[in-house]
Amino acid sequence: MGKLKVKGKAGAAKNFTTRSLAVKKLQCSLADFRRLCILKGIFPREPRNKKKANKGSSAPTTFYYTKDIAYLAHEPILKKLREHKAFAKKLSRALGRGEWSSAKSLEDNKPIYRLDHIIKERYPTFIDAVRDIDDALCMVFLFSSLPSDGRLPKEVVENCAKLVAEWQLYILHSKSLRKVFLSIKGAYYQAEVADQTVTWLAPYQFTQNVPADVDLRVMLTFLELYQTLLSFVFFKIYTDAGLVYPPPLDIRKDEGAAGINALTLQDSSRQPLAQQSTALAKESLSITAKEVRRTIKSINAQTTSETVDIEMAEEKPLEPEAEEEFIPHSSTKPQEAASELPTFLSLSSLPQTMSTNLFAPYTFWLSRETSRSIFEFTVRSFGGRMGWPGSSGGGSPFDETDPSITHVIMDRPVVERKNEDSAQQELRSRRKYIQPQWIIDCINAGKILLEEPYGQGKTLPPHLSPFGEYEGAYVPAHEGAGEDAAELIEEDEEEDEAEADEQSEAQDREMATAVASKDPAALRAAELAAEAAGLEYGDFEAKVKQANKKRSKKVSETSVEVAEQDMNKMMMSNKQRKLYEKMKYSQGKKNSERLKLEERKKDLLRQKRKGTS
Amino acid sequence: MTSLVNHKRPSKRKNVAGDDVQQAGLPVNGNLEMLTDEEDEDDSSSDDGQVDEFPEIVGQSDSEEDSSDGEVLEDADEDEDADNDSDDSLHIFPKAKTIVSTITKQPKLLYPEIEPEYDSDSSTEEAPNRVGNVPMHWYDDLPHIGYDMNGKKVLRPARGDELDKFLATVDDSEAWTSAFDKNTQTDKPLTTEELDLIRRLYVGENPDASYDPYEPTIEWFTGKGKEEIMPLSGALQPKRRFVPSKWEKKKVMKIVRAIRQGRIVPNKSKTSTSKFEPFAIWSESSLAQAPPLPAPKPPLPTNAESYNPPEEYLPSDQERKEWEEQDSEDRERNFLPQKFPSLRLVPAYDRFVKERFDRQLDLYLAPRVQRVKLNIDPNSLIPKLPSPNSLRPFPNYRSLQFHHPNSRARCISVSPDGAWVVSGDENGVVSLWETIIGREVKWWKFDGKIGALAWCPKTDVSYFCLGVDEAIHFIIPPNVDAMILSLTQSVLAPSTLPPPPANPSPVKWVTPPSASWSVDKPILTIQLPSSSGIPTNFCWHHRGDYLAVVSSGGAQGGVWINQITKRHSQAPFKKIKGAVQGVLFHPTKPHFFVATQQYVRMYNLAEQKLIKTLTPGIRWISCMDVHSSGDHLIVGGYDRKLCWFDLELSEKPYKVLRYHSRAIRSLHFHPTYPLFASSSDDGSIQIFHSRVYNDLMTDPLIVPLKILRGHHVVEGLGVLQVKWNPKHPWLVSSGADGKISVWCS
Repeated sequence: MGKLKVKGKAGAAKNFTTRSLAVKKLQCSLADFRRLCILKGIFPREPRNKKKANKGSSAPTTFYYTKDIAYLAHEPILKKLREHKAFAKKLSRALGRGEWSSAKSLEDNKPIYRLDHIIKERYPTFIDAVRDIDDALCMVFLFSSLPSDGRLPKEVVENCAKLVAEWQLYILHSKSLRKVFLSIKGAYYQAEVADQTVTWLAPYQFTQNVPADVDLRVMLTFLELYQTLLSFVFFKIYTDAGLVYPPPLDIRKDEGAAGINALTLQDSSRQPLAQQSTALAKESLSITAKEVRRTIKSINAQTTSETVDIEMAEEKPLEPEAEEEFIPHSSTKPQEAASELPTFLSLSSLPQTMSTNLFAPYTFWLSRETSRSIFEFTVRSFGGRMGWPGSSGGGSPFDETDPSITHVIMDRPVVERKNEDSAQQELRSRRKYIQPQWIIDCINAGKILLEEPYGQGKTLPPHLSPFGEYEGAYVPAHEGAGEDAAELIEEDEEEDEAEADEQSEAQDREMATAVASKDPAALRAAELAAEAAGLEYGDFEAKVKQANKKRSKKVSETSVEVAEQDMNKMMMSNKQRKLYEKMKYSQGKKNSERLKLEERKKDLLRQKRKGTS
Repeated sequence: MTSLVNHKRPSKRKNVAGDDVQQAGLPVNGNLEMLTDEEDEDDSSSDDGQVDEFPEIVGQSDSEEDSSDGEVLEDADEDEDADNDSDDSLHIFPKAKTIVSTITKQPKLLYPEIEPEYDSDSSTEEAPNRVGNVPMHWYDDLPHIGYDMNGKKVLRPARGDELDKFLATVDDSEAWTSAFDKNTQTDKPLTTEELDLIRRLYVGENPDASYDPYEPTIEWFTGKGKEEIMPLSGALQPKRRFVPSKWEKKKVMKIVRAIRQGRIVPNKSKTSTSKFEPFAIWSESSLAQAPPLPAPKPPLPTNAESYNPPEEYLPSDQERKEWEEQDSEDRERNFLPQKFPSLRLVPAYDRFVKERFDRQLDLYLAPRVQRVKLNIDPNSLIPKLPSPNSLRPFPNYRSLQFHHPNSRARCISVSPDGAWVVSGDENGVVSLWETIIGREVKWWKFDGKIGALAWCPKTDVSYFCLGVDEAIHFIIPPNVDAMILSLTQSVLAPSTLPPPPANPSPVKWVTPPSASWSVDKPILTIQLPSSSGIPTNFCWHHRGDYLAVVSSGGAQGGVWINQITKRHSQAPFKKIKGAVQGVLFHPTKPHFFVATQQYVRMYNLAEQKLIKTLTPGIRWISCMDVHSSGDHLIVGGYDRKLCWFDLELSEKPYKVLRYHSRAIRSLHFHPTYPLFASSSDDGSIQIFHSRVYNDLMTDPLIVPLKILRGHHVVEGLGVLQVKWNPKHPWLVSSGADGKISVWCS
């Protein structure tokens, strides 16, 4: 006889722990438990059978894996949290007694915890970490724009701003930005770092207010983890690129709101002299590889320059950019440094398409009403030069009168200028005034688009998501294609009209529709029409019959098939039937969504036509 | 006590084994002592080296043994005898010598060395039963009590009855000192040691004979020469004990100087020193364990989220209103598409922080489930079956309708040649009409509902039976060929009645006198016992001699099997569990199916026993039918399910179909064509193609062919019965609307 099975000793009853039991086991407060869960990445699990997991009770509870809780119980941070609890008690007692000096020394020796072991546990490899930094970046971008107050310490905001600048600097430097999308929520960016696509959302530059129903403590706990994660990731990507991390900050520039420009990229090989000499010695060996790469690059440049629009013809010689420490020369240097050991990573990043140097021939001037944070970052990561007025922050490499400026990014309506001298007019005529969306659409299209539809004061073409939609979704036609659609509709209607001219055919059609609708009123109307056309009743009846036959044949063929399939559905198993119904439901939902959009598009076109005619 | 004896037994037996005298029951003693003496001998001989060192073997021993030990070894035997006379000197264990240790100078007990071959418990023992320490009651019912060393059975020794036992106690002087040994299943006399042990326990002494409770105490710390003297002195304390240490001062001053110079910072805060610095955390390889699954990423933004989307994405006023009214959790999108003419006009997104917060709540509060996403065409899930067009013929249109006014057409039956149909309704009207043209030839009127109708399957006779109110009437239709008529009459009302059965049955067979025979009256009536209710279900045996009847009430489940030729009825079941819903004869074997509310039982009538019980999993069975091959059974239920059983395969259904939207009322297999039909309360009839293969490996093929609609649902009842025409693929169906339809191919 086998061993007797006791209820609640094995299976789900043992594998799952409710939250209150977990808190009891860990002997910490709920807030501490939450903090631990966030830091360690432990989340509730759904048992297959809630009743079995909860000792027969079906009350709504949160379940965790018992093993997860056991894993938390061995966490060094848990000990630190307990120490912190003791510290808080001691401090409050010292403060209550007015023992300021002991309170100060307590505060100085406050227990703090480190998260590096957690980062290592949760992300055993660098790739794992990069794969998961989307949320971290979003959070850091958000917190860098939040106002600091009693709930949100100033240091956190500053650190977030620093991390944001470091990240943007790296993306600029490595030219790894791929896609940008301006949404109503903010600007989405997609970059390729370590072969992983990283997407983040940066809010537009406005003061965000924290709503009352948001628990800032939860967010700050996440932020704590994210800051640590990002600084480790940045350390790794900077050192891999041969740069010093953290990049030195020029405080004077920073105070002048220079943003990214306040940070300086420093070659790590430049720092220790001994290292440099060895690097030099190695350089002679690596020269061949370097040259090969250079030739590849030049070939790439040639091929792509042919494909780029006409604008490429009026390429201007690039001016040496002395002010920007990092753009052209520093981008090649670290590659040289890294070329000593061609890793898979460096090799795979080699054949970069020329779209990363999309704006290389151009110099942009940012008008003061456009957001510098978005456009400086995007334009410069695609190789363009960018200047901005002093009102958008300091550190502009050139001023408005610079003759090299090719494009001016303007986002305001055209104003008649009366008192303009000839020099200014000359300057105006040489520059192109475009709306900001042009930059983003060029990046997403991977080529320089025509500036004309994006000109100042023009109605912009729609801005589409570069990330695509699900399969089978409605694809909004481009402007040109939209015209095609309009033409199609027109053709349709014209055909209708032409048919209306040929009476008999029209009657046939009417009859067919009447028969199809099985509506006696429609049939009657058709009959009257036939009479009016001078058709005899007998002929009419014959025609009706014919139409009926045709229709019934067509209908019967399709309906028979459908009916057969319907009958075959009987033979499906229950599981299959449920799956089938689910799939059909979601398909139908997608289809109806698409049809709705298509229908609306047609309506809009029709309205437009009416408006014009 | 017995257990103790039992435990002791093996060691005893070992000692006894060699001794034949033991069997005689003599008070044998000293076996052990013999051994110990040998031990002593061995001891002294083996310890020779040591003995040299300790010439005085005799310590301060307490008993005579010591003296005997101390004496010369030659007269050990006499000594033994002397010892054994006194019970005190009896030893189960080898005797110990007391010697004075060279190290501690204290007396100690020295036990003789144990020689492994002789002294271990089981070495020389010859216990015949080697089963070990198992509960002996395992062998209670067996002729043997265990196995000896060679694996042979040790037979149970003969045991006398109570009288023998009593005589033994009288005759045998030793009987009172013997105990039952479970291992050998005999009485064994206790050895002297054991008797001594028992005596000691009985008196309340220490069971160990060698234990001396009055030993002199050994003085370790007290006594003469061991006194401790306190080391007190009257000398003055030196001065250095009262002045501060110079060296300590020097050390302190060193620290003070370091603090003054700033080399040591007192109260340096730990927190400020341990500032976080990133380092190359991924430089060394990670642990072997796999990383936890990354959290799912939020979906990427679509066109609708653009600040300048195509116009068709903008919601209409109604959609906007709907979205605003919805609860934020039910919304498909957490934003409304908006269009701005230029980027400058785009405001801050007011739910930005909230959305980030929601995402984080998802990350740490939401349970995650890994799902496999199926990327298949849903139509591929529909089984591929042959097209119905290739499986013709089957009924697909209604050729004619017969009408029973103001009543439900409850039952129908088609004649074996397929030319005639009889139908009965709830008003008690039975109509006979032609299948092809629907012309009524004759009708009969009975009192009460017609419960069931069945045409006799024999072709050389022509009659049908019908069930009304606790009676079964047999009727010969009009216009029957004269030869057939006479044969039928002779079958139903033979001139010489068969002898009545030995034990009278409560069922009465009544035949009116031959003078009053006519087509209007039944030629034979079976009167079922009273309160047995209306017969609801008829089933003819394929030979046409037996008719099984199920009636709605009465004892024995209401099942009667009537034999026409012998005019005899019998109830096959004395008692039956559950209400019988229907019965069926197996088409080829002497088997009988009985459907109760939840089970279908299959009986062998020849052997009078249950063969198997089928569990369809239907809550209430309504009807069933068996395939003409006899290997397949379909069962329909009021809970809309239809179960197909492969009788060779399993007691669970091979296939369960649920396609009717209401209860299934009737099922019928076509006797020749591979078709079956089911009718339901939803007013529809479903035709299936059901091909059955002869080889066991191929599963039967079931293809839905056609749904026949045309009956109306009246008071929740639809099509009450369907029957196939045995000669053609035509179907006759009777509905609650009083209509009977013939469906032709």
